[in-house]
Amino acid sequence: MTLIVDPEQNEIRALERVVDWRGKRVVEIGCGNGRLTLRLAGLGARVQAIDPKAERVREAHENLPRRFAKQISYHAGQAESLALGTASFDLAVFAWSL
Amino acid sequence: MVHALHEAHRVLKPDGILVDLRPAAVHRRVGVVCKGSYRELGSMREKFDDDLAANRAVAQILQEGLFITEWRRRFDCRRVMDTLDEFRTWIDEFVQLSSLPSHDWLIEEVEHALEQAYGKTEIVVRGPLVMRVLRKMEP
Repeated sequence: MTLIVDPEQNEIRALERVVDWRGKRVVEIGCGNGRLTLRLAGLGARVQAIDPKAERVREAHENLPRRFAKQISYHAGQAESLALGTASFDLAVFAWSL
Repeated sequence: MVHALHEAHRVLKPDGILVDLRPAAVHRRVGVVCKGSYRELGSMREKFDDDLAANRAVAQILQEGLFITEWRRRFDCRRVMDTLDEFRTWIDEFVQLSSLPSHDWLIEEVEHALEQAYGKTEIVVRGPLVMRVLRKMEP
């Protein structure tokens, strides 16, 4: 069985238009199972990914490829409860989470 | 939602960028592809209350001068599934998470279409996404 999301990769092309993601510090708010997080890391971003649902974060962590281990950190909780530093990120991404 | 956007404004560097990516507030269309030919079977019956609330939240932070819109783009996004079981699992989860009424009628439509089809078939759910890119401003 196969479920493919966005086989045309329109989403990733739209993301590529936003900015050159290489080396950028990104906070992803509402990362879910990490589907988009992996795409952002693939573009070269360093991602702090947050989701209030601990189960989804666990799933994302279990599916984290070793090659992205230094680029991605997952956290369960609300963004405001994680005491993120003021003016510390280049980009904030709300993916299907607003 | 506004609170989360305010928090994003706080943690962004000056000139930082906020990306808001989510489905457009339109009903997803479901169909099957058989031998390269797409046949539409029906549209889902989502509610858009959350989408409209999110739009209002974004409008508020723009009005507060916290961000300006750099650009906005709408593009197609498809989900492609090979089997009825896969479609049923996906739509049941979607219906449950979104507190929607049963979509069994749509599952039956897909089942019927697959019974009539021959050769390789795919189930396709189509719905546009909207990406909005905002730049941080100091009010």
